[in-house]
Amino acid sequence: MRSSMKTPVSVLRLPRGPDPNSRGFDPNSPRFVALCPTTVPSSSSSSSGSADEEEQRLRAELRERFLRTLLLMTGKRVRFDMHEHVRVHARFGASDIDVLTLQVSDLETPLGVQREALLRCQDVIACSFEAREGARSVATV
Amino acid sequence: MAMRQTPLTCSGHTRPVVDLAFSGITPYGYFLISACKDGKPMLRQGDTGDWIGTFLGHKGAVWGATLNKEATKAATAAADFTAKVWDAVTGDEVLTLAHKHIVKSVNFTEDSNCLLTGGNDKVLRIYDLGKPEAEPQEIAGHTSAIKKALWCNNDQHILSAAEDKTIRLWDKNTKEAVKTLSFDASVSSMEYIPDGEILVITYGRTIAFYSAHSLDLIKAVDAPASIHSASLHPEKDFFVAGGDDFKLYKYDYSTKDEMESYKGHFGPIHCVRFSPDGELYASGSEDGTLRLWQTAVGKTYGLWKCVLPEELSSENSEALYCPPAEIKA
Repeated sequence: MRSSMKTPVSVLRLPRGPDPNSRGFDPNSPRFVALCPTTVPSSSSSSSGSADEEEQRLRAELRERFLRTLLLMTGKRVRFDMHEHVRVHARFGASDIDVLTLQVSDLETPLGVQREALLRCQDVIACSFEAREGARSVATV
Repeated sequence: MAMRQTPLTCSGHTRPVVDLAFSGITPYGYFLISACKDGKPMLRQGDTGDWIGTFLGHKGAVWGATLNKEATKAATAAADFTAKVWDAVTGDEVLTLAHKHIVKSVNFTEDSNCLLTGGNDKVLRIYDLGKPEAEPQEIAGHTSAIKKALWCNNDQHILSAAEDKTIRLWDKNTKEAVKTLSFDASVSSMEYIPDGEILVITYGRTIAFYSAHSLDLIKAVDAPASIHSASLHPEKDFFVAGGDDFKLYKYDYSTKDEMESYKGHFGPIHCVRFSPDGELYASGSEDGTLRLWQTAVGKTYGLWKCVLPEELSSENSEALYCPPAEIKA
């Protein structure tokens, strides 16, 4: 019998894929709750708990500021200070989700202007650009 | 009525999947861990393939991954010269074990107290997870990179396969090689079946079965293409194998006859393993996906639903997803 004649087995749905916003390990899953009762957060009563919360809040704030800086940089002419005393200018396009690579246009290099290029974040020490007329912002990557 | 196999594709990895392992059966089902060159090993529910979490921390390709029986701990081996131990419930990194070269293989003892590692520095290491700062016991002898290292025979012996085309059986107490098997080609994979103490080895186009105690050959089968991995069903009635031609082959273990072959992957298959209950097997490929395959095609299990022909055309079939004839990536 040719395999194309057979009816394919039906499935209820496809396997769920990763959540792009989190690393998973849902703390509300039955297994987590049963095996890790001490890590379920209680109402903030312990002092170490509130210190952690404060640090988390500050980290979140810094992260948000960094992401907003990236947004503000979009389309602007940016100066990139890189390792080995390299300093180049380019128009910033976008960053990838993990901030590993920066997409830029009209990259001015000693060899000429590169229409489109990708910069490796590992190589970048700082980016500097004019947020508005006369005001320069510096973001350290 | 014969039905056509519908593999379930687990996406999420962005590079080739090079290793996978199942846990034992726990009160919460069984689990699957996958090692990937993207450096982000993932934990999935074993019977559905649903993603549970990603272990973040490695800075290089992850070459080996394993779970303990209870699926409470995970271990990974990576190109960043470390092996890591993880809490498989919270996803937190518990331990980083620095090595001198790429680590390729990790394996827990039955009681999860010791971790065996092996890699490109050619040395087997045994870590006591109760005393992580203590120096590991080392077993040297292989003359090339170790690809796979496993505990066997009640954790009294260690089996290791290396690029030097040998498999060696070591006594864990004396650290001496008790037996050595030599091959003409590099061994591509090794699986140890505790119940029956059988060792499944693949090399070239061959799938061979050995006694894990004596390293005597039980039987061997040649496949149509170069095989990278094979797995024996827990009841020992079938075994499955996959390799270079992207297909999965299913054989009858007693007669050695090829029963079926399945297409589906878009790249060579690097690893294949049966689930602990034998109801399905998972394959990992160069194409970056894991696929789950039914052992008994058409049976209701996990996400697969046995549907009678009359039901397919009735209104009740709306909740079911009937895959098209060609499933494209």
